[in-house]
Amino acid sequence: MAQQLALVFQLLQQTCIFLVIAWILAKTPLFTPLMQVTIRLPHKLTCYVVFSGFCVLGTLLGLHVGEAIANIRAIGAVLGGLLGGPSVGLAVGLTGGLHRYGMGGPTDIACMVSTVTEGLLGGLVHRLLIRRGRVDLLFQPMLVGLVTLAAEIVQMLIILALTTPYATAFAVVNTVALPMLTANSIGSAMFMRLLLDRRAMLEKYSNAFSARALRIAARTDGVLRGGLSAASAQKVATIIAEETGVGAVAITDRERLLAFTGTGADHHLPGTPIVSTHTLEAIRDNRVVYADGNEVAYTCSIHPECRLGSTLVIPLQDADGQVIGTIKLYEPKGRLFARVNRTLGEGIANLLARQILTGRLESQRSLLSQTEIKLLHAQVNPHFLFNALNTINAVIRIDPDRARTLVQHLSTFFRKNLKRPEEEVTLAEEIEHVNAYLQIELARFGERLKVEIDLPYIYAQARLPAFSLQPLVENAIKHGTAHLLGPGHIRLFAEPGKNEHTLLVHVEDNAGLYPLARQAGAGLGMTLVDKRLKARFGERFGLAVDALAERYTRITLTLPLNEESPDASAAG
Amino acid sequence: MQVLLVDDEPLARDELRALLAAHPDVSIAAEAGNAIEGMQLINRLNPDVIFLDIQMPKISGLELVSMFDPEHVPHIVFVTAFDEHAIRAFDAHAFDYLLKPVEPARLARTLARLRRSLPAGAPDYQPLINLQPLQQLPCHGHNRIVLLPLAEVESVIARLSGIYLVDRDGQEHFTELTLKTLEERTPLLRCHRQHLVHPQAIAEIRLNDSGGADLITRHGRSVPVSRRFLKSLKDALGV
Repeated sequence: MAQQLALVFQLLQQTCIFLVIAWILAKTPLFTPLMQVTIRLPHKLTCYVVFSGFCVLGTLLGLHVGEAIANIRAIGAVLGGLLGGPSVGLAVGLTGGLHRYGMGGPTDIACMVSTVTEGLLGGLVHRLLIRRGRVDLLFQPMLVGLVTLAAEIVQMLIILALTTPYATAFAVVNTVALPMLTANSIGSAMFMRLLLDRRAMLEKYSNAFSARALRIAARTDGVLRGGLSAASAQKVATIIAEETGVGAVAITDRERLLAFTGTGADHHLPGTPIVSTHTLEAIRDNRVVYADGNEVAYTCSIHPECRLGSTLVIPLQDADGQVIGTIKLYEPKGRLFARVNRTLGEGIANLLARQILTGRLESQRSLLSQTEIKLLHAQVNPHFLFNALNTINAVIRIDPDRARTLVQHLSTFFRKNLKRPEEEVTLAEEIEHVNAYLQIELARFGERLKVEIDLPYIYAQARLPAFSLQPLVENAIKHGTAHLLGPGHIRLFAEPGKNEHTLLVHVEDNAGLYPLARQAGAGLGMTLVDKRLKARFGERFGLAVDALAERYTRITLTLPLNEESPDASAAG
Repeated sequence: MQVLLVDDEPLARDELRALLAAHPDVSIAAEAGNAIEGMQLINRLNPDVIFLDIQMPKISGLELVSMFDPEHVPHIVFVTAFDEHAIRAFDAHAFDYLLKPVEPARLARTLARLRRSLPAGAPDYQPLINLQPLQQLPCHGHNRIVLLPLAEVESVIARLSGIYLVDRDGQEHFTELTLKTLEERTPLLRCHRQHLVHPQAIAEIRLNDSGGADLITRHGRSVPVSRRFLKSLKDALGV
């Protein structure tokens, strides 16, 4: 009896070694598929390989007692069956059993048969519990221990039944039964406990991570739809700083710091140009730059006393991979940059870039539909057509040749109206459209309308979206000079802009009714022209209004002046 | 019949003139290029019929109707290209109108009807006046025309040289509108043979010894009330 008890302790020691090996392996991705019940073949295969390994290990770690081996092989077989099902259990049992058979001894056949039986038993319990919908029980260490106990008892019976002579069988069972029943049951229960702990840890870790990421996503949602501005950037930076807990957060566009929050906010001032070489590098090379303060030196480029000691710079990318800005996370000196924050940072940058993109797509889409609506109006504007027909009708009586010319102009006007709004045209082409329109209006208003066009030839090739100029001239008449009792005066002229390579095109009327005109709906058309110019050429371009009530309204388009076209210097 | 053409588009007047030339009994007394000129000419020439365009600068043809002197209302033939809203009103009250471009046959029918109805006097244009009540009063400034919002007028004074609107600042504006028009078409109240006052501009009524009174306006100007109009004024104000 004393020998048996000693054997119990020795075998438990072996089990400990066995479990340490399992614990180390549990840190590897190899164990990930084992943490859930699976029916997929690759996972089953992993299950088979791992538990066959443990089955063999259970034999190798066994203690030689005379000709028999007190072993913990059952742990692998039973667990393989429990987690992988009957097929995996059978396969694991066969592999472990054949290995044991290869080592010989009087109980070799009995051991092989019993190992297969143990694997199958695990598998049958697996199937039974799955059928009952009690998958949760499979992971109960207590149940695993009990199944293993049962399996070991069966093994002992098999040894007694198959081993000859019976005396040997009895001697073996008498010696190893107690240690093996104890060690295998406890060992398999512990093994399952270990798997459960590992799973819980992984879940907790990824739960916390996803919770944080989701919270940032929820809180920043929509903030950047309107684009990257100082105000929106500050909001986002604050949210990121609060959620990640890093020392400081900054957001930049390509040139300037837009927002900064956290340690060092006293000298990292929004609105100032970017000076950090890390940031410039991130923008230039379009890659994440990480200066941990050890391997890659980091010192604040603004203030020598700055307490920030490490930084992560992540570029914000446009749809076509262009860098539109950066997000920077900082930690103060003496604090480690958590790796999770690196991953999170990159995720956030992705998220925000997507938001900006969504915002831009949305506004483009609504812009397009607005343009379409507006254009539809232009194409079927019955008032203009009525007026034009009445004018031509009257002219036919007085001057048939002039009437023919007017019909030509009307035809030109409508042909130009068929252009699509996203088309780009030259200033000369747009003026043709304007001119066709003006000829009709000039005939209609007679002495009441004077038009002066002064567009130097050198600007003829400047490019602009179709329908940028004609609506402005139409507004100047419809909402301007048409309301004058005295003579109306429209001036259309161009001059080089203050900035290089820009062209200013002015449409001026002498009515000065701009505020009224805006109420009457001229505002929508102008806003549209402005938005289209900005969307196509950038924020520097667009439409501006200058008005003096009752005196004049001057609408100015700022357009890019093509460098290849005959140079502006000749005029300026 | 004496007709007046009011249209801001010269070609439209040309066209109508040419069409009317086919009717020898129609003589064009004058042409006006806007509603204000039109009003002046109507007051001066007292024509039988006006051909009135609706879309015109500053004051539309419909607004002009509410500026007529109630004692001299001509027959009106409205001319329009596309004003759905007005056309519905014309149809509802059987007012005559022509669509541009004007069909000679339709014009002939209109003239025939006019010949019959001229002796009976002009129809009642009140439905159109209700449609477009007088809100802004045309005034002649220094060689330009100002539209003075009704709410800014404190009182009206008739002088030998004409009718003047007095605004909040005490500034006087000459207008072609008659006292009768202003009295009937606006909330302005008669308080004296030569004066009207805006009821909302009255701050105080000071009775005097001669049985009349003096009104003090919100901006501190005095407007006389004659004995003859004191009672009606008090009634109108509910005091």
